[in-house]
Amino acid sequence: MSGNQDRQRIKIEKTYKASINDVWHLWTTKDGIESWWGPDGFTTQVLKLNLRAGGTLRYLMTATGAAQAAFMKKAGMPLTTEGRISYTEVILHERLAYTHLADFIPGVEPYDVATTVEFFVEGEDVRMVLTFDAMHSEEWTQRAAMGHESQLGRLEKVLADVN
Amino acid sequence: MVFHALGDPMRFRIVEALRTGERAVNDLVDKVEIHQSGVSRHLRILQEAGLVQVRPEGQKRIYSLRPEPLRELNAWITSYRHFWEARLDRFAHALKQKQKRQLPDKKENSK
Repeated sequence: MSGNQDRQRIKIEKTYKASINDVWHLWTTKDGIESWWGPDGFTTQVLKLNLRAGGTLRYLMTATGAAQAAFMKKAGMPLTTEGRISYTEVILHERLAYTHLADFIPGVEPYDVATTVEFFVEGEDVRMVLTFDAMHSEEWTQRAAMGHESQLGRLEKVLADVN
Repeated sequence: MVFHALGDPMRFRIVEALRTGERAVNDLVDKVEIHQSGVSRHLRILQEAGLVQVRPEGQKRIYSLRPEPLRELNAWITSYRHFWEARLDRFAHALKQKQKRQLPDKKENSK
């Protein structure tokens, strides 16, 4: 693995041949969000979108795929669940940050996750960098702010050893 | 609980020090360079979070990592990555669709 894994939290980077307008639209409008938010086999309906720091996005996720609907039924879960994210930072065409309760991963306890999306226009491309921080306590948040954010990257190393 | 326990840099150093195998408390004190009472306190928190286990050996107390919570955490990280990779595949697809709609004259607009 390359060395830059050292200093990462959970980070995903993608580059698209697209205009920043289009990319931003997908993240920040009702029809944009509904077109991809998912998950697979689920449709998303945005109920309320208040795009500003301190604002929230509320949406419904409904299992529409046959397999997903069957799974939800079998697990005794409703086909439709509500999701909510709280925006912490909105800078047009540059940066979007929000927190979200990650409660959709089977077998894993819900966690507050802080997500940051940064957009970089590079020629005809837009590079999008997503950073995820699982923050469960004030302490974690403070430590992260104090420059200990490399811990998750180190953590991944420890995990690699243990597994 | 696991995140809280690992959120402290000193505790994280202790966990790192235990990666290579079990260690006595004194050994850990040398390794992470803080006072024994501090190490003991951190070890107690790590133990309560299920991250470390302890066994006596004569006078000494020997600490080692418990892999289960770390595996769980790793599973969480892996799931989260997979979840987002799938979501971003849909993002890329939605972006293409959007671009197609904006350029109706482009070839293969047969939807």
